[in-house]
Amino acid sequence: MNVFITGASGGLGRALAVECAKRGYNLFLTDVDEDGLSSIKRGLERRFNVTTATCVSDLTSPQSVDEMLAVLDKHRLRLDMLLNIAGLDFEGSFIKREREEVVKIATVNNAATLRITHAILSRRKHGSRFFIVFVSSLASMFPIPLKAAYAASKRFILDFSTSLNQELKPLNASVLTLCPGGLATTPDVVKSIEAQGLWGGLTTNPLELVASRTLDKALKGSCIYIPGLLNRVLSIIGKAIPRQWVAALLYKRWSNAQKQWLNLPETIL
Amino acid sequence: MKTVVITGATSGIGFETASLLTEKGYEVIGIGSSAESCSSAEKQLLLRNPSAQVRFYNADLMQLSEVSRIAKVLKEDLEAHCGNLYALINNAGCVRSWYMTTAEGYEQQFSLNFLAAFLLTYELMPMLKKSRGRVIMTGSKSHKGVNVHWDDVMLSKCYNPLLAYKQSKLCDTLFAKGLNDMFAAKGIRAYVVDPGLVKTDIGNRKTGALVNSIWSFRKHFGKAPSEPAKTYAFLCEQQIEPKGFYYHNCRENAYSKVVTSENAARLFKLSERLCGIRYGEVF
Repeated sequence: MNVFITGASGGLGRALAVECAKRGYNLFLTDVDEDGLSSIKRGLERRFNVTTATCVSDLTSPQSVDEMLAVLDKHRLRLDMLLNIAGLDFEGSFIKREREEVVKIATVNNAATLRITHAILSRRKHGSRFFIVFVSSLASMFPIPLKAAYAASKRFILDFSTSLNQELKPLNASVLTLCPGGLATTPDVVKSIEAQGLWGGLTTNPLELVASRTLDKALKGSCIYIPGLLNRVLSIIGKAIPRQWVAALLYKRWSNAQKQWLNLPETIL
Repeated sequence: MKTVVITGATSGIGFETASLLTEKGYEVIGIGSSAESCSSAEKQLLLRNPSAQVRFYNADLMQLSEVSRIAKVLKEDLEAHCGNLYALINNAGCVRSWYMTTAEGYEQQFSLNFLAAFLLTYELMPMLKKSRGRVIMTGSKSHKGVNVHWDDVMLSKCYNPLLAYKQSKLCDTLFAKGLNDMFAAKGIRAYVVDPGLVKTDIGNRKTGALVNSIWSFRKHFGKAPSEPAKTYAFLCEQQIEPKGFYYHNCRENAYSKVVTSENAARLFKLSERLCGIRYGEVF
């Protein structure tokens, strides 16, 4: 099994890389963070007997992606699975963020994801089943003031992947959308989970379990995975209540939580 | 003047040990996780004792690349001063609520509480050898009653924060055992200090609400960090190296039956692979 992982040096990407390596899959990892990429490669090779190839790439740049694809093509690498993990968010209200930061949310979470998905799909191994995982979020289920662009970008992923799943069925490919609540991936995320108090703790899912179940569900051909019973209930409630009400409710919750950690730098979710 | 390196020296047990050792005339090099905590700890120590010989370096020891970097800095520093190291106190540690990983994808409690010490000690071995030095690990009574999960040492199947902590402290104890097995004959001795329940902030940093509140309650029953500091000083002060291994309140104490030479050798093999080093090639 050859697996391609984007955002492989971040928390969830790393956890999934470890999970894949544990299962004996060969890995092709990419990330913008060169040091992070070589660290995870080193860690995986010391622990597991798997082939790990890495390539630094900025998925928001068509040229950078082309250069990476040239490496794949040079080695005639064909893939069985694509894990689209790269994504980001910036904390703070829309108008208080830098203009280009806000744009970057859509560029990385959406445009870059489309670019790499198209590229890797056309480099899938023929004759066997192909698997794609997209990382959406519990945030995709609701309009979320103060995380407006992020939540909308994750909604884009949810809708896109659900449709793509249908489109790819005749091609023997299946698409799983992962919609996690909180995942304790970085110290900053832990701070933000803490800042949300009890709610933060209750909606946070264990990273190691999410990683292994994501692979199980993808291989089974499931189309959506919302980790945690409470999160599944919340996603249903979100559908039953008018969207303006949800927005008003969530605004209250997030503005309280954000007061405690507004000065955070970039957090990758 | 004897030089001692202490990791996690900016607060809690490490800080009090640094304070006590500077009072007793040791030169202390402290390692802390941030530049701010280092400079504030240095200031506080000099306030307590204006003639203290103390300096700090900051490094995020959870990341193995940072351990290697700071080891180079320490070697250069020691070369420029006395050229040897009398004692290395591997004290830095953390508690986590969730399975979180380092840049290498290693579980964080395992990586900081044990692996960082394993690698740093290896790097400083030549300096320790010169002074027939001592390695002191901060252990914990909680290492008893668990075993090393050899098939999943990072507990990545189903993470249990408390188990991860206990296992990391068992590994610290096994590490000290293995060091003695390999190097006691060459004059280097390793010890474990069981500090008991101590009033520190270890369970309040980067942990979730549950661990945080449990620890905030529990630490009220702990003693001041200056208490266990006496045991570290005791182990440094003995002219002839103490023959014991596991110490609590300056006295030898019982440790887990799992701490055997066989398990220590197994842990060395595993950890050498994870760090990309070979202890056998150290001299």
